[in-house]
Amino acid sequence: MKLELFFAAGCASCDAARDGLKAAATQAASDLVWRDVNVLDELDYAVELGVLTLPAIAIDGELVFSSLPTPQQLRAALTRRNVTEK
Amino acid sequence: MLTIGKVAARANVTPDALRYYEREGLIKPAAKTNSGYRLYDADQVQRLHFIKQAQECGFTLHEIRQLLETRSRQSACCGDVRRLTIEKKLQLEAKIKTMRAMSRTLDGLIADCANEARPVDDCPILAGLEAPLRG
Repeated sequence: MKLELFFAAGCASCDAARDGLKAAATQAASDLVWRDVNVLDELDYAVELGVLTLPAIAIDGELVFSSLPTPQQLRAALTRRNVTEK
Repeated sequence: MLTIGKVAARANVTPDALRYYEREGLIKPAAKTNSGYRLYDADQVQRLHFIKQAQECGFTLHEIRQLLETRSRQSACCGDVRRLTIEKKLQLEAKIKTMRAMSRTLDGLIADCANEARPVDDCPILAGLEAPLRG
């Protein structure tokens, strides 16, 4: 499973929340690949996924959160996907 | 101090627009005369230029208010303004993408109608617009 965090460099809320979210995500999906995406480096890709606000999170190429979720919300979203995939 | 007409003329907006900005909470006169005429000082003129410039960059009045609030918030930093600006760019790029797709569709319709002498009943563009949407 691939998780992409779209952020703008210098985004204080992203930096503050990243570690907690990463820990929650890894716990929920052991096969998780986490990718930080600086939106200015991959603007076309962000637009393609429908990212309009920052920070945003896409899972397996689908925009799932258009603002930062809590670790619990992220864990729940990943668990739901894991169940659907199995 | 300047009257509403003079300030509006300097910023190339109408006095009505200036009153609208006031109702939207973006700007307010520095003072009013005894007869109730609005008066503006240099700070308001500068603020009006800010609003105009931001509008030209695509920001809505709601977003401009956010920018102005961010500017006056002690705890805010340039990163907050930068994020709002990047979000605006994302929105514009998304609109451009949609418009490019619309333009490509029009290209297709134009190409379908190679013979403009056809009767309107037989117009491929009108037929194309009537066709069911492709999923």
